[in-house]
Amino acid sequence: MSAAAAEAPRLEARMVARAFRGGAGVHGIDLTVEPGEIHALVGLNGAGKTTLMRLLLGMLRPDSGAVRVRGRDVAEADAATWARVGQLVEHPLAYAELTGRANLEAAARLHGLEPRRIPDAVDRVVEEFALARYAGVRASRLSLGNRQRVGVAGALLHDPDAVVLDEPTNGLDPAGVIVLRESLLRRAAAGAGILVSSHHLDEVARVADRITVINDGRVIGALDPAGIDLERAFFALVHEDDRARTADPTEQEDAA
Amino acid sequence: MSPRATRTDAPPRATAHAPRRRRPLAPFAGLGAAVAVEARKATASRVMASTTVLLVAGIGALALVMLLAAASGEEQVLAKLGPLAGVPGWAGLVGVVLQITAAAGLLAFGVALSWTFGREFADGTVAALFGLPVSRAAIALGKLLVYAAWSVGVAVALTAVVAVLGFAMGFGTTDAAGVGELVRIPVLVVLSALIAVPAAWVATLGRGLLPGIAATIAIIVVAQVSALADVGAWVPLVAPALWAIAPGTVPAAALVTVPSVPLVFGVLTTWAWSRLQLDR
Repeated sequence: MSAAAAEAPRLEARMVARAFRGGAGVHGIDLTVEPGEIHALVGLNGAGKTTLMRLLLGMLRPDSGAVRVRGRDVAEADAATWARVGQLVEHPLAYAELTGRANLEAAARLHGLEPRRIPDAVDRVVEEFALARYAGVRASRLSLGNRQRVGVAGALLHDPDAVVLDEPTNGLDPAGVIVLRESLLRRAAAGAGILVSSHHLDEVARVADRITVINDGRVIGALDPAGIDLERAFFALVHEDDRARTADPTEQEDAA
Repeated sequence: MSPRATRTDAPPRATAHAPRRRRPLAPFAGLGAAVAVEARKATASRVMASTTVLLVAGIGALALVMLLAAASGEEQVLAKLGPLAGVPGWAGLVGVVLQITAAAGLLAFGVALSWTFGREFADGTVAALFGLPVSRAAIALGKLLVYAAWSVGVAVALTAVVAVLGFAMGFGTTDAAGVGELVRIPVLVVLSALIAVPAAWVATLGRGLLPGIAATIAIIVVAQVSALADVGAWVPLVAPALWAIAPGTVPAAALVTVPSVPLVFGVLTTWAWSRLQLDR
């Protein structure tokens, strides 16, 4: 790996904005995910977490601002850059007609792994995410949680160093949550930069190095992962922001 | 950055490598991987398997029933067959098969394409097709290539079934010279597959299966109504159906225009995939 790529943030948004009809979206967000860091996004439903993640992955084009992956503009990123990215935003890559293993092999192919390296990579991730029992089962017959496991495993099997996971604990049982947590901590320790969104503040506190709070499409502050009452601190930030926006009509006009 | 030390003794080619780092994802990057994954999905899918069986076995059975009914003088069937009624041997059998295929085959191909493209949106799996070293244009083209290969397989299978049917009916001895008629089957099957391609584009724009199926039905209606009215030999969407009913009215050159449909709509589809945003 070159020195420049190692120093660039794994993921970076600079004043990125994308508005939808009705005022939803994100309105000028700055955010970085550094190598070796787990950066958590928290916010209420509709705050803009998923929109921000979609912008970082090229699923949406920004109205303004810049979005970079491993130092390269998302619109300009080449195959080598994308081969180091892993993501799960909303729906896992789990085709109903394919078995758990076949889905992982498809994910490996799509992430650019050479065919001869695929069996090993799939074996490793099947073990890491305890998927052996489901490897031969069609995804259509898997529970929501196990499909999610397959999806997370497929997003990580090529050892990406820029990772975006939108509520990855969705549907996971307590054992799955622990497996995921350990996987993310291990990957961050190996140099991956991981952006993860979650509604579970306790879980976030266990894995995140930084917690950014988003409300109404803006970054409104940060929480200390070592803090004692994250829930109280979170709502204090959100309510203060809501109050400030409703109290200041000029601010609201800017937002619209 | 490339290591500076190699600069001095590197051939001129090495400097040409430097700008390559700035080049974005090639338009069809990862096409091989896309084809492999799409082929695997298609072969594992029950939609594709059941469509193939329904189409091949269904058309074979339907043709047999219609021929037997016509032979026994069933009036409604005779009316449906029109000029084909009473045509003996291979020409009669192939004529019936083509007439059914021009509508039913087109429907099957349109449904298969709508599923191939629309299911990514309906199942939400399209989100997993972003952020990859495989471009989305390559994924769309991979889908179209797998579809094309599948349609050739369907053409071969249907031809084989009809050949078996014909020989079983004794046409091997009674109408040995007419066996060449069979060639018209794979031609019409592939032409029908080609004019179904707009369904892929509409399924993409409409983000689901139903818009693609609606587009397919619209193509069938246009093709069948025009063919029955005996107009549109030079309209690529109509020429195959017209050729199926009355081969003499459609010049070969008109059939050659048919690939313009998959070309135009294939380009539109891959373009739509490369510009795709998950904004609705």
